[in-house]
Amino acid sequence: MAYPFQLGLQDATSPIMEELLHFHDHTLMIVFLISSLVLYIISLMLTTKLTHTSTMDAQEVETVWTILPAIILILIALPSLRILYMMDEINNPSLTVKTMGHQWYWSYEYTDYEDLNFDSYMVPTQELKPGELRLLEVDNRVVLPMEMTIRMLISSEDVLHSWAVPSLGLKTDAIPGRLNQTTLMAMRPGLYYGQCSEICGSNHSFMPIVLELVPLSHFEKWSASML
Amino acid sequence: SASVRVTSGAQGPPRSRGAPRAPSLSSGRSQPGRRGRSRRSRRVAATGERRMLATRVFSLIGKRAISTSVCVRAHGGVVKSEDYALPGYVDRRDYPLPDVAHVRNLSAGQKALKEKEKASWSSLSMDEKVELYRMKFNESFAEMNRSTNEWKTVVGAAMFFVGFTALILIWEKYYVYGPLPHTFEEDWVAKQTKRMLDMKVSPIQGFSAKWDYDKNEWKK
Repeated sequence: MAYPFQLGLQDATSPIMEELLHFHDHTLMIVFLISSLVLYIISLMLTTKLTHTSTMDAQEVETVWTILPAIILILIALPSLRILYMMDEINNPSLTVKTMGHQWYWSYEYTDYEDLNFDSYMVPTQELKPGELRLLEVDNRVVLPMEMTIRMLISSEDVLHSWAVPSLGLKTDAIPGRLNQTTLMAMRPGLYYGQCSEICGSNHSFMPIVLELVPLSHFEKWSASML
Repeated sequence: SASVRVTSGAQGPPRSRGAPRAPSLSSGRSQPGRRGRSRRSRRVAATGERRMLATRVFSLIGKRAISTSVCVRAHGGVVKSEDYALPGYVDRRDYPLPDVAHVRNLSAGQKALKEKEKASWSSLSMDEKVELYRMKFNESFAEMNRSTNEWKTVVGAAMFFVGFTALILIWEKYYVYGPLPHTFEEDWVAKQTKRMLDMKVSPIQGFSAKWDYDKNEWKK
């Protein structure tokens, strides 16, 4: 989840998110370099007494400032495409979980072996237990086994929603009439929070997602208890 | 009878420019049978004649039109030159020698000085040199490039508006906003922080990475 005075992205819980973090560092560095160069040039322009009013021929600098941005863009595109294709690799998930977006809660279906369905509503602020997180806690968390590849199938029963968990690098739109798929793989146990990421009405900010990643044995006990 | 012949080229017959002529009452061409002329010059001639009638009627405007459109008249009244299109004087750091002198209409003394300028300059006194400079230029480089105190006004106004906005926000906090949610109380935040550390939020570089789990305190 997000923490106070956070400046960057949340720490990665999945390998893809790790890649995205490093890509973000790389691209942001390029952005900072370009911005500081531009700011420096602007400051030079504003603080010179020199003038030059005749039109000039500038073939050399024009060539440089065409080729160099092209190279920079390639340096951004190549890692980006690498991660994009990495996300689409064939990975043989061990478990499939379906989630449907509603106004204004998520419902989850674990139907690989038995028929396990439940709704996940946000806990209202007045009903929080001491120390719980406002606008983030839910009554029924999505319990999943850690260190296993899980297929998430995401759709909606009414309007557009989006199922997002930032620390796993996940954000997939929930579109009525359409089944979207994403792959989930958490390397650490723990609670991972996300919020609906597509405007869906008055309580769009109040339908969070909480994943509880546990060892497989815990998951098996939990799913048995929920049936 | 005055033959009104307005030609469109520069080869007009020698006549005083700008002097209004007896206008012809016919709106179109006044010389029937001028088949030799092109249609365009006939149209131009018609416009010129209408213009002369107009300057007669609106004499004040007509006079102004005459004074600023002398070069226009030469071309048969096709385009009027506005003031900004004529050569003008500018005080510009990057245009050191303006197109015209600052003082156009010299007094008798200034005219005499210009004559004296044609001789050797070493015979000019300092005051005369300065006088000649001021005739040609309005501000000196030092004067035109002088800095102003405008920035103080700008910064002061900006700070004033920031302060005014702060007043609005104070009023808003007191009269509009409700109380903060109870989850912002110190006690709750402490329990919340402990819970976040227990669930190891961002343990690699972010939040829990700064907590020393052995000594149970924040890392120094």
